[in-house]
Amino acid sequence: MITLQMEYRKIKRKKIGLTMCAMMSIQFAWLLWASKNPSEKELLQGWLYNLHTQPLLCAIMMPTVISVLASRLADIEHKGNTYKQLKTLRTAGALYHAKVLCGFLFILAMTVADYLFLLALGYGHGYVGNPDLKAYLLSFVLQTACCLSLYLLQLDLSLLFFNQMIPLVVGLCGSMLGVILMYLKTYSFLPWGGFLSSAIVMMDWNPATRIVTYYYRDFSSVELFALCMIAVWIVLFYTAGRILFTRKEG
Amino acid sequence: MKTSYGKAVHAERLKLRRSPVWLAFIALPMISAFFGTFNYLNNIELLKSEWLSLWTQHSLFLCYFFMPSLIGTYCSYLWRLEHTRHNWNSFLTSPIPLSALYFGKLTHAVWMTVLGNLWIFFLYYICGRLSGLNSPFPKEAVSWFLFGTVGAVAICSVQLFLSLIIRSFAIPIGIAMAGGIFGLLVTNKGMGLRYPYSLYSMGMRANNPNLALDASAHLVNSLTYVFIFTALSILWLRKHEISAN
Repeated sequence: MITLQMEYRKIKRKKIGLTMCAMMSIQFAWLLWASKNPSEKELLQGWLYNLHTQPLLCAIMMPTVISVLASRLADIEHKGNTYKQLKTLRTAGALYHAKVLCGFLFILAMTVADYLFLLALGYGHGYVGNPDLKAYLLSFVLQTACCLSLYLLQLDLSLLFFNQMIPLVVGLCGSMLGVILMYLKTYSFLPWGGFLSSAIVMMDWNPATRIVTYYYRDFSSVELFALCMIAVWIVLFYTAGRILFTRKEG
Repeated sequence: MKTSYGKAVHAERLKLRRSPVWLAFIALPMISAFFGTFNYLNNIELLKSEWLSLWTQHSLFLCYFFMPSLIGTYCSYLWRLEHTRHNWNSFLTSPIPLSALYFGKLTHAVWMTVLGNLWIFFLYYICGRLSGLNSPFPKEAVSWFLFGTVGAVAICSVQLFLSLIIRSFAIPIGIAMAGGIFGLLVTNKGMGLRYPYSLYSMGMRANNPNLALDASAHLVNSLTYVFIFTALSILWLRKHEISAN
């Protein structure tokens, strides 16, 4: 707890929350723009549309947003060259946990804001009926897990490399991969494809009638396996990060 | 005898020596080209315009979202050394005019962007030939390249200014990403030529190779942004008390 408090003191006045708010507001603007002037048919399927669009936007934006977050949380030690000093005050494991927890709280806050915005958007547009809260909750949990897996990867890279360009370029490449994977398959085993695997609503577009229909996804065994990969990545990145950070010299 | 500008460019080259920053400019367009070509080949019965269709697959996401971020990353890297430890002191007291020091950085940012653009077009040509496109390479590509590069210079000047005034390495990159996405919305509203982050994608005719670009407006707006942000950066360097970290 003390180590976590220390993390928050370190980032005081670094305006990380403000940065994340600014980046999330771009995502909100995009969602607002994408759902403007809904037709009657779209109003009927609005709540499902939200659950379909959200993971796709996350696949584009989140890898970069999270790389910025992880870099901001890790670079203070690089700039001050304070790793060795900190390790004399707290164990390396506790320091790593504090960074993970601090970033996770940011992620949680961003995801909560994301889903509150989706609900506000739906009621604002006047989507028919009420949202399926179980589906929204499941989608929320899966998105948080995807963000956490990416955060752990980015944190590991940001802690290991003094040059923050490397983790940020990885984040950018991840965003690029996320976009491209969208066109290829509805699931992916890669960490950046987790948002696609975790989408619980799919879209069916009829080229003849040009009608779009949204439906709840029926996960096949391969898709379930891709979904499980999110948990595997979390464990893998957490374990690797903890070991590497503990062994890191200076 | 080297001029101040020549010395500044040389100094920047020394700072960037043995640093793998150029790798990002190689890797990201490769991902885009590989998957863009894959997608083109998978939908070849729908995408009938051969080279033009392939270009849309290659350029859409790269030009809108990722090239501004990549330029942002490079610009952040160019100021990174100055923002570290006490390097502002030595930078600001070097016996070279501050404007020359700034132009040394801008030159490197533009140079890397030009190389990145050349790489994008090289990949486009190679992927087209490997995909079995036997028709001649589109002549319009020269115009895409030139206007794209001019638009990229505008982004370079904006990002260099942001990376100068923001000490964090990551935040200007986030702004570039957000700027690129916002550029998509602005372009969709028909105001792309007025917004710096859209000038690149419009110049490159990303997603719309047949776009009739208002060339003079594109050039004037790009150069205006370059002029404004260059002036702001030099002014900031001259007037602002930059404290060493």
